[in-house]
Parts: sequence; C-alpha cells; structure tokens
Amino acid sequence: MYNVRMITVRLSQKKKALEFPGPRRVMDLLAEAGVRPTTVIVTQGRKLLTKDHRVEDGATIDVISVVSGG
Amino acid sequence: MKCKRCRRADAAVELPSHHAAFCSDCFFVFFRRQVTEGIRKLRLLAPDDRVLVCVSGGKDSLVLWDVLIDEGYETEGLYIDLGIDGYSGRSKEKVLAYAASRGKTPIVVELAKEGIPIPEASRCARMQECAVCGTVKRYFFNRVAAEGKFTVVATGHNLDDETARLLGNLLHWQRDHLARQHPLLPGEDGGLVRKVKPLWRVSEVETAAYGFLKGIDYVTEECPMSEDATSLVYKEALSRIEDRMPGTRIVFYKGFLDPSNPLRKAPEAAAPPDAAGTPQACTACGAPTYAETCSFCRLKERVRKARTLRAAKVTR
Repeated sequence: MYNVRMITVRLSQKKKALEFPGPRRVMDLLAEAGVRPTTVIVTQGRKLLTKDHRVEDGATIDVISVVSGG
Repeated sequence: MKCKRCRRADAAVELPSHHAAFCSDCFFVFFRRQVTEGIRKLRLLAPDDRVLVCVSGGKDSLVLWDVLIDEGYETEGLYIDLGIDGYSGRSKEKVLAYAASRGKTPIVVELAKEGIPIPEASRCARMQECAVCGTVKRYFFNRVAAEGKFTVVATGHNLDDETARLLGNLLHWQRDHLARQHPLLPGEDGGLVRKVKPLWRVSEVETAAYGFLKGIDYVTEECPMSEDATSLVYKEALSRIEDRMPGTRIVFYKGFLDPSNPLRKAPEAAAPPDAAGTPQACTACGAPTYAETCSFCRLKERVRKARTLRAAKVTR
C-alpha cells in the first residue's frame, strides 16, 4: 500500500471539497468539478491562479464564485 | 503565461475580453484606469464631491470604496443591516474590519431598529425580498446622503450587473426603465441626490480579482434571499455568451449608452415615468417623491397593516 496524494478543490459556494489526482491544469480541474471558469476566481493561499496554471499533487486550491445576485 | 504589460512577471489575471493577462501590479494599474476612465467619460464624479459609498460587505462595494479612497475622493461608507439572520452579521463584520483598516467608521442603519427588517417586511407586504430590499435601500441611500450633505451616492454595480439589468429590460421591453438605466442619475431639486455607478466598465471577475489581490476581506457567500433572483438568470445567459465571444458584454453596454441610441434618453431627461416636474415632499416622511407618499412609506404602511392583522388574529 502507498499513500496517493491528491489535489483538493474546495468549492466555497457549494461548501464542499472534491479530490482529484494530479498534476492537472486549473481549467481541467474546473471542468471535472463542473464549474464554468468565467464565473470564479481560483486561489492557492494568497496566490491567484490563471486557468492554465498546473496544480501539483497534494495542493489545495479554492474556487470562489464571483457571481452576485439580487 | 507572462504579463502582457510588463512582459516580465507571471500573469495572475487573464482577461479574454481585453485580449490581456496581467501580473498583480500591472492589473492594479489596469483596473484603476478602467474605473477612472469610466468616471471621466461619463463625468460621474468631481474632485470636490463628498461621496457616500454604499457598502454591503461584498467584493464590489468594498473594492469601489478602496479605489475611491486611493484616488483621493472624500468618502464615507454607508452600511445597511438588512436584518437577515447570520448573513447580515457576517457582512457587517467585513465592512467594519475594512473600514477600520482605512481609518474609517461607516454609517450604519439597522433595519430591525427602523422596524422594517427585510425578511419580515417581505412576508408582511407579500413582496419579493429583492424588491423590498431595493425600495428600502434606495430610501436610506438618499436620506442619509441628504442629511449628511453628501453631494453624490456611489454604488458598486459592475458591468455584469448592468448588462444583466439591460438584458432583462430589453426582454420585457421596459421602455421606461431603459430610458432611466445609466451609470449616472442626476440629482434633482427637492432632495434627490445624484447617484453613480463608477464600476460600470469592470466585470465581476475583475472586481473579485482586485479585491483578492489587494487583500480585501469581503463576504463571499451570497445573500440567502437572492437565490431565486431573476438577475442571476440573465447573468448566466450573458456569461455563456461571453464564454464563447469574449468582449460581448462591454460592447453590448457601451452600445446601449451611446447617446445616439434611441432606446434611452440623456440622463438629464431620465425622470421616473410618473414624474411631473420636480419631486415633492412625501406627506408622511418628507422624503422626495413623485407620488403623494413615497414608496418606502407605502411599504411601511403595508407592513404595519399586516402586523396589526396578525396581532388581531392572535388575540382572538
């Protein structure tokens, strides 16, 4: 047995987290999570990620919705 | 991906609608230029204005306040506590924290103390929460501005908000609303203070990115009352179009604002449909209105009647 490190994608709007094997580009992770890239910003710590950024295994990224209603 | 402006740093923000990508520092320059150009082109603000910035704790209004402070405008923040369990408290915390970080203390209006918290008012008046919220906010924006001798009220409506509203108005052929839709609503004699939307050129993604990169701690959760807001449907439709054809939103809105567009009048002529001359004082509260009593007082009266009826049922 060995420990498979995954990428954790936290979806702030849905208050849930998903895990995917890496490395993967941000745009591919968003597609897997069913999120349209133009409706969110993606962050890792204090860094803002572009959609072509490659996320490594073991990383945690936050997907923050930018759409406000009302 | 490298920054398209300095060509040295890695890009932090990509903007397909501008065929551009920027590092943090260059994005700040780009964003502020978009806002200041929006202000200059439509003459939204003068250097000596006293600006009342309406802040909700969300990204757009706090970013607007931040940019206006950095641009040297004299500003004060107005926060309206809507009386929504949990959400209002968390939003208020963000506003107070941001204000403190800039050496400011916002003006706070608590709707519960005013006797008209949004959830209850909406139930009593049998109106959509967003409609009640709009009426109440507009009333207090103007009242606080007039009482505080502010020359202008600024709100954080962005390009996505304005194009969603435009699409809704077009789909329903709301000609009166189309005539009045503009980032500048001039003030009028009788106590109506000028209203402006300085973020009309920037998108929600851009304000969110600016807020994040500037370290502005804004509330990311959505207002629980706005889940079924029709504006979200229009926003999604426009967002899907923008995905396929970047830049469509700004072309759509700039085309609408073109003075030659027959669908809209010049801002000076944009008075409400029932307007007859200048607004008169509301017979109940004295606020400017084109009717006998203002829409806020009419709403309060509906709420009062519903409460009286409910109390009578309970005592029976």
